Amino acid sequence: MIGRIRSQAVDTSKFVTDWMEHRTGIVTMMEHFLYEPVPKRGAWLYTLGSATLFTIVLQFLTGILLLFYYVPTTDHAWDSINYIMTEAYFGQMIRGIHYWSANFLLVVIGLHMAQVFFSGGYKAPRELNWVVGVVLLLLVIVLAFTGYLLRWDQDGFWASVVGMKIGSYSPFVGGPTIHFLLGGDVIGPATLSRFFAIHVWLLPAVLAPFIGIHLYLLRRHGVFGNEFEYSDRLAKLHERQRLESYERYEENDGQPYMGRRDRADRNGDEDEE
Amino acid sequence: MAELQKDPITRKDFLSFGILGTITGAILTIPPAAFILGPVIKTDVLGQTDVPSGPDDWHEVGSITEVPVEEPKVFVVDFPVNQIYGDRKIQEESGLSTEEFVVESAIWLSWQHEILEGGEYGQSYRPAFLDDYDGGTLTQAQIEEIQGNLKVLSSSCAHLGCPVRWIVKEGAGEFLCPCHGGIYNINGQYVGGPPPRGMYEYTYEVREDGRIYVRHEFDIEEGLDVQKPYVI
Repeated sequence: MIGRIRSQAVDTSKFVTDWMEHRTGIVTMMEHFLYEPVPKRGAWLYTLGSATLFTIVLQFLTGILLLFYYVPTTDHAWDSINYIMTEAYFGQMIRGIHYWSANFLLVVIGLHMAQVFFSGGYKAPRELNWVVGVVLLLLVIVLAFTGYLLRWDQDGFWASVVGMKIGSYSPFVGGPTIHFLLGGDVIGPATLSRFFAIHVWLLPAVLAPFIGIHLYLLRRHGVFGNEFEYSDRLAKLHERQRLESYERYEENDGQPYMGRRDRADRNGDEDEE
Repeated sequence: MAELQKDPITRKDFLSFGILGTITGAILTIPPAAFILGPVIKTDVLGQTDVPSGPDDWHEVGSITEVPVEEPKVFVVDFPVNQIYGDRKIQEESGLSTEEFVVESAIWLSWQHEILEGGEYGQSYRPAFLDDYDGGTLTQAQIEEIQGNLKVLSSSCAHLGCPVRWIVKEGAGEFLCPCHGGIYNINGQYVGGPPPRGMYEYTYEVREDGRIYVRHEFDIEEGLDVQKPYVI
């Protein structure tokens, strides 16, 4: 009974998978994106990029949730966050994850960069991926800076003032940049609106495609490691995949593999002769 | 590209494409750019400010008698900020809201002191007639004497804008910025730390009834005009 249900479930899932594969090619795509051979030595260090991606995804998800309560005006911003922290169900947890994963994000990015730098992963042909990574780093830094003011408390307020005034010392562009961020010539309600727009809409919208480019370039060239070990492992992986598909064929079909039987017959014939 | 293009681009094609492209590009980019750069255009090109600081926009600080002899005292002034809350006239006409966004600004008032060698404070230049002044009408000469010796200082540090506070030392004292340790003396002059200049001084006037009024206007030095106090 259980065996029959299991085989039916297997059949159904296989049918759905095949159906999707024929129409979208999604299975091949998933295999391509999920299976990535990495060098044997220091394999755990290669999870730092995934850790970065994970924390960024956490930022997106918890950020969307926080938007259900946050009010970006000077008279309600602090109160709405206070509401999230004290009254909303799991509000403290959601905002805590947003806050702490933002902190960890910068740490993990630093470690990820250090790993790529010391392993020489930025070398040809992966230079552009390093450049895209630096763009991502800068975007995350500006996101961290703009997110700080949204709390509209003394801490975030003065930190933003200091940050903007540091920028104002830059020659020529300093003044206009700060006026752009302030929304005028003094900090006020327009400043909060602008920081909100930049933090919630502009930068995430810019960040997402750059993450896509970063991952595409990674998949195009593979992670950097010992080239011999790399090609060796890649060959082994392909061999294993070939054997697995062959076994599956044998099991599901119930018939021996035609090519092998032919060859065996032919060999047998040859032996007899 | 050359294979795709059977005929070479004619002069007419090139020009019409260029002109059309310029017009289309301008239509697509100018409105959004001007939209988000509005404050930059208003501030840097037109020289406008969000805080009304015309000749009539005086805000009362306090009475001249409230400023102590030996040390500065902080006063709070509400400056209105007209950024995104719209036209005041329409707000009043609609009767729905006359709310104005104000920023509570801390202003330090102190009497100018003589600075001795080694940074010690000498005598205070507080006008002597204030000892027995009880709020009556001041003469023009008295007003001028007060305006020559009263310091009306912005609490915003000239370095990166943090609010300075008065630290009492033995027989003296100094303005200290909590962020990076900028130090100023009782006159608001630079003493130590990272600030590029002394504290910002407000434009102010003393009226006949002995009350002090300020305008949102600072003594911005030539060549340092980028470093305005963005916080008020």
